[in-house]
Amino acid sequence: MQKNLNKNKLTNLKEDLKKNQIEIMLYPSKCDGCESEGFAACVKACEAHMGKKYGSKYTGARINIKKKSGRFFPVICHNCEEAPCVDACMPGARYKDTESGWTVTNYKKCVGCWMCVMSCPFGAIERMGGGHFASKCDGCIDEGTPKCVEACKKGALKRIGIKNYSYERRLMVAKKIYGPYIKSVEKR
Amino acid sequence: MKYVIIGNSYAGLSCADAIRRFDKSGDVVIISDENYRAYARPLISYYLEGKTTDETIWYKEDDYYEKNNFKVMLGKKVVSVDTVSKKVVLEDGAKLDYDKLFIGPGGTPFVPPTEGFNPDSPMMGTFTKFDDAKKMEKAAKFAKNKEAIVVGGGLIGLKASEGLRALGLHVTIVELLPRVLGLALDEISGNITSKRLNENGIDTATGETVTKINLDESGNPESVILKSGKVLKADIVVVGVGVRPNVGFLEGSGIKIDRGIIVDKTMMTSVKDVYAGGDAAVIYDILNKRPNIIAIVPLACEEGRVAGTNMAGVYREYPGGMGLNSVEIYGLPIVTIGLTNPANESQKVYMFQDENVYRKLVYDGEVLVGAILLGDIAGSGILSAVIRQGLKCFKYKDEFLNGNIYSFVIDSEFEIYNINEGYAVRGDFEDLPEFSRTNWR
Repeated sequence: MQKNLNKNKLTNLKEDLKKNQIEIMLYPSKCDGCESEGFAACVKACEAHMGKKYGSKYTGARINIKKKSGRFFPVICHNCEEAPCVDACMPGARYKDTESGWTVTNYKKCVGCWMCVMSCPFGAIERMGGGHFASKCDGCIDEGTPKCVEACKKGALKRIGIKNYSYERRLMVAKKIYGPYIKSVEKR
Repeated sequence: MKYVIIGNSYAGLSCADAIRRFDKSGDVVIISDENYRAYARPLISYYLEGKTTDETIWYKEDDYYEKNNFKVMLGKKVVSVDTVSKKVVLEDGAKLDYDKLFIGPGGTPFVPPTEGFNPDSPMMGTFTKFDDAKKMEKAAKFAKNKEAIVVGGGLIGLKASEGLRALGLHVTIVELLPRVLGLALDEISGNITSKRLNENGIDTATGETVTKINLDESGNPESVILKSGKVLKADIVVVGVGVRPNVGFLEGSGIKIDRGIIVDKTMMTSVKDVYAGGDAAVIYDILNKRPNIIAIVPLACEEGRVAGTNMAGVYREYPGGMGLNSVEIYGLPIVTIGLTNPANESQKVYMFQDENVYRKLVYDGEVLVGAILLGDIAGSGILSAVIRQGLKCFKYKDEFLNGNIYSFVIDSEFEIYNINEGYAVRGDFEDLPEFSRTNWR
């Protein structure tokens, strides 16, 4: 009975991951920028992996840790619906992959006009002056767990289905506005 | 339902996509007066430089039209639109019925009256179409003295000169305004840009115009005479002053035109069932607070999408747009957003400059209304989102100037994401900007 209930629950993570679009969830309060190690594990893992995936010309981390007065925030693509970077892309290099639902880039078409860098409201697209292309996270959607998530030992990044994503973000926003009155958020 | 789309570029295709999203079965006909399938038009200068090729200049994938079941009519020019009997008349006399029509004709290059200019000459022309780029590629081979004159120091002119320079010509930009990119940049950034151009073999003659083009016996340019009387050698003359909305064919259709096509919030023109968008449409400029033509790619896509959604029967409003642009000139990235030169005294300017980087912010009271970033453009998207939403962000002024633009996102997003630690103090969300994926548009 309990098993059945769990299976049908909308936010069952296993089912969600199997059926729905995959997203990367952030828990910035858990991120400490890997300060004791001297480098951010996710950034390093991503950089190494992207070099392998797209070739050495298109290497460079797609995730970045930004710091402000002791707080860390992983800057990564939020995979917008109707993404501004897709609208802005003049060569048509960036597009919505209809199967995975992710905004991905065809780097062969990218000419480095920086229109997407100028449009991303999260600042998640970076100008790579050397290779002359704009790098953006593609969610590693075609290859299981993304390397950044694997590398993060602090639990600040998590691979998650879109139902869980929206559920958790909704709780977060509600909690931010009505803080003390919402207590149903599970501890993770 | 029969949808007809005039214009096979950013606005038109974005409109077609939006229609297909809500109407899987309707007939969609896309008409273009060019013989190519959709290509990335602003990239024709990169084509001359070899950064984009015959394989990668296409805007959509190869099977785009078949996959989405769009019928495409290439090389057909629309001569008039009959809005009473709902027909589009083509140059060859054929008539197309429509239930809903989208007009995204873009712009035609504007050529100031210049003695001797003849666009049919193989060594002279404008620079907005793929054919123009191919013509210049050929012309560069025949240039005897390897000298080119580009009239106009705006985006078209700069990119055209960069392309011609890559073909081995010595280029001189002739610009009427006192600096290149005169409308978007200020004096300091204009000078930095000019210096970068000069270092790379492109001369700039600012505050000048071409009064006469001297032709040789075969009708090709030999030299140009400037307003100041100076004579410059010229094998190739390119006019890239700007574009005007291509709305001549709409005369007599009853569609209201004032410079561009007038549209309402749903992107519908003054005639029912006829929609418009792109470089030819007059939309609401949220910064200048008046209707304006803003001819940039991101807005064309947005307008097309809103129009297409409404055409498919789903109501959607367009809130308006603002001018912003980004360009790279010989390794120097330039981003200009919104009102870069203060329009009145209430607007205050803050600047930061060092060796490689220049940043300028224009504040109207507490609200950021414009920015120029030169050299370092990381996080410029955050600024454009802030400007577009009209957020109060005066307290971030110093951080923006020093390049810590990300601090804004950290502050606004961190609290929302913060699930484990403490509660956000009640009330502080009022001065925190609403800044999430649902809020962007």
